[in-house]
Amino acid sequence: MNSKTPGDTAMSIAGLGPHGERAVPADQIQLTPADAAQALTRRFSVALVLHTTTSDWSKQELAGIAATLGLYSAALVEVVDCNFDVDLQVAALTRLAREPVDAVISIPIGNARVAAAHRDLTLSGRKLVLLDNAPTGMLPGTDYASVVSTDNFGLGQSCAAMLSAHIPPNGAAGILGYGIDFFATHEREIAFRKWMGSHRPDVTLVRERFAELEGAGPAALEMVQKTPGLSGIFAVWDVPAMKAVRALAQNGIELPFTTVDLGNEVALDMARRGMIKGIGAQFAV
Amino acid sequence: MAQEKATLRSVGRPRSVDAAQASLALLLNLVRTGAATTRQELERRSELGRAVVADRLATMIELGLLKEGELGQATGGRAPRQMQFRQDAGSLLVSAIDQSSIALGIADLNGQLLVEHHEAAQLDSGPEVILDRLATIFDWLLRETEKPAPWGIGLALPGPIEKPPTDFETVPVLQTVQTWQGFPFLERLSMRFGVPIFARSGVQTMTMGEAKSGGGRGLSDIIYVKLGRSISAGLISEGRLHRGAQGAAGMIGHSRVGEDLLEAVAGADVIAREGMAAAEDGRSPYLAQALARQGELSVVDIGHAAQLGDLFCVDLLGRCGRMVGEALAPLTNLVNPALIVVGGVVAESGGDSLLAGIREAVYRQSHPMVSRDLQIIRSQMGASSGLVGAAQVVVEELFAPATLQGWIGLGSPVRHPDFQKRLERMSASAAAEAAPPAGRVAP
Repeated sequence: MNSKTPGDTAMSIAGLGPHGERAVPADQIQLTPADAAQALTRRFSVALVLHTTTSDWSKQELAGIAATLGLYSAALVEVVDCNFDVDLQVAALTRLAREPVDAVISIPIGNARVAAAHRDLTLSGRKLVLLDNAPTGMLPGTDYASVVSTDNFGLGQSCAAMLSAHIPPNGAAGILGYGIDFFATHEREIAFRKWMGSHRPDVTLVRERFAELEGAGPAALEMVQKTPGLSGIFAVWDVPAMKAVRALAQNGIELPFTTVDLGNEVALDMARRGMIKGIGAQFAV
Repeated sequence: MAQEKATLRSVGRPRSVDAAQASLALLLNLVRTGAATTRQELERRSELGRAVVADRLATMIELGLLKEGELGQATGGRAPRQMQFRQDAGSLLVSAIDQSSIALGIADLNGQLLVEHHEAAQLDSGPEVILDRLATIFDWLLRETEKPAPWGIGLALPGPIEKPPTDFETVPVLQTVQTWQGFPFLERLSMRFGVPIFARSGVQTMTMGEAKSGGGRGLSDIIYVKLGRSISAGLISEGRLHRGAQGAAGMIGHSRVGEDLLEAVAGADVIAREGMAAAEDGRSPYLAQALARQGELSVVDIGHAAQLGDLFCVDLLGRCGRMVGEALAPLTNLVNPALIVVGGVVAESGGDSLLAGIREAVYRQSHPMVSRDLQIIRSQMGASSGLVGAAQVVVEELFAPATLQGWIGLGSPVRHPDFQKRLERMSASAAAEAAPPAGRVAP
């Protein structure tokens, strides 16, 4: 560890936003005292719609949102767990458009299939803040207030750089990708491929996809069986990474992994010098 | 099969082929644009007989261009079945290349973006690198999102694009990007995917994008101004993009402000330079801190500082806004737009100070009638407008009646005989270039 503050070690933002925007770091967004005082008197109510509430990322996100809203006397009145189900998300947003909430924070699951429900929520007069991505065609100002996201492109590049150290010359690296049209994981994979293409053109890339979390283990096994000499795997986030790690371990296979999101399990595995060799994640500030 | 059908029908009556293609094209465009969707409406709008309409619709259903949709409004008797254009019969690849970023997307045949991706890229890394990157991401996006095979590519480039002499003829990119001189960028990309390619300047596609899906939706007269390292404008007048005699309309960055070009006093580079000077000599405490933290400054930092109330930056952006507004005012008086949309990195970062400066100058120097209902807004679409506009360019080109008649009987523009010939010519010249030089080779 070093003694630098988060501000000193903050990396530059590599990725661009859903409309090519240059992002503003979270620590540079401030409420003026006047706005804060006004927010305190209004006692806003906010609902949160998440893809899942079981992952460590979601728990941390939820804790951060609840604490920050609390500073301004805003109440987090409902947390919806969509369990990665598009229909559940559409139903939740449709219902919230009729409920007495001032704003909704939502992570769109997938792309085109959830766009209309998000747009309708804004049309109903509620403010909408999106996490991680904006469905294609939705516009800031008209369809949503803003997007808050990690630098998915930068995380993908970091994971490639960390995995590269474990891939011998002319070796093969695997990508365990998410088989759903989802901006954040797309960006990570594009960035991973770009880094490898420009820094390690000797490495052969192979890829398997999983559509549901339970498919991550079998997909990783299949990739190992199909690719003799596979030297490492990049999984697009921590939960499928650990499912893959367990599936490989059960079959007596050990491979270096890198992944995104600082969940407890991947952190423990890395600290124990397990298969997880690197984690791309950002400071919460 | 459908091809045979169209051919058989024309045996012994050569002129009817043209007539058949023309009626097919007419009906397809009526359905596609939503002008007429029931058989009755189609008969009325096309002035074709019932049997002809029925035959042409059947042909297009067979070709996969149309499908029967839901029941429409009954006007006495049975409710009519509505025809629908199959916007998923093919896809359009679109890209906008800028000085410091590239944007890519896939759109359906109505020009609706289905997926998009933006990433930082330096134009001066050369055409080969950019071409390779575009091909890699297009391949990946097509495979990953399981979209139908492409029918065309729409490309936005940072500079004016000359009008091609004939259909499917690509124009050299050299006017646009000096360092790309002689590089067959458009030809290579067109050959790589085996589809026709259409290019416009970035500001023209952005203007079209704003008119289709942004602030200009539903308006027929708008001006779009792109404020980046360079400054240029696009004009839609009475619903049509104005390209100019050479395709170079809108170079307002070349207007004079005193002794200098507008671009040289209000472009992103000069704003960054002035910010740097203010950070170094202490006129802007915020920028001094940002410079110490990051080691460099861009227009994004200056915009952010202005939003946080840094007086130097508020003043700087306001001044730039007024200079841009002064260049826009004569244009506003000339074309009487309903809306001016301001986009580009300076507009995105510049925020309210910049917009206030532009408004001040435009409203002050415009005729009262011209400015009465004139709105001046900041783009919400960002770089997506370039992609939406590029898709719109391809849609307009592929479905232009004259072009459409050339391919409609074949089911896809990729099979258009003129394009196929063009593709052969391009492949032949590429092969000739790749071949080793004849004659003696020096040891």
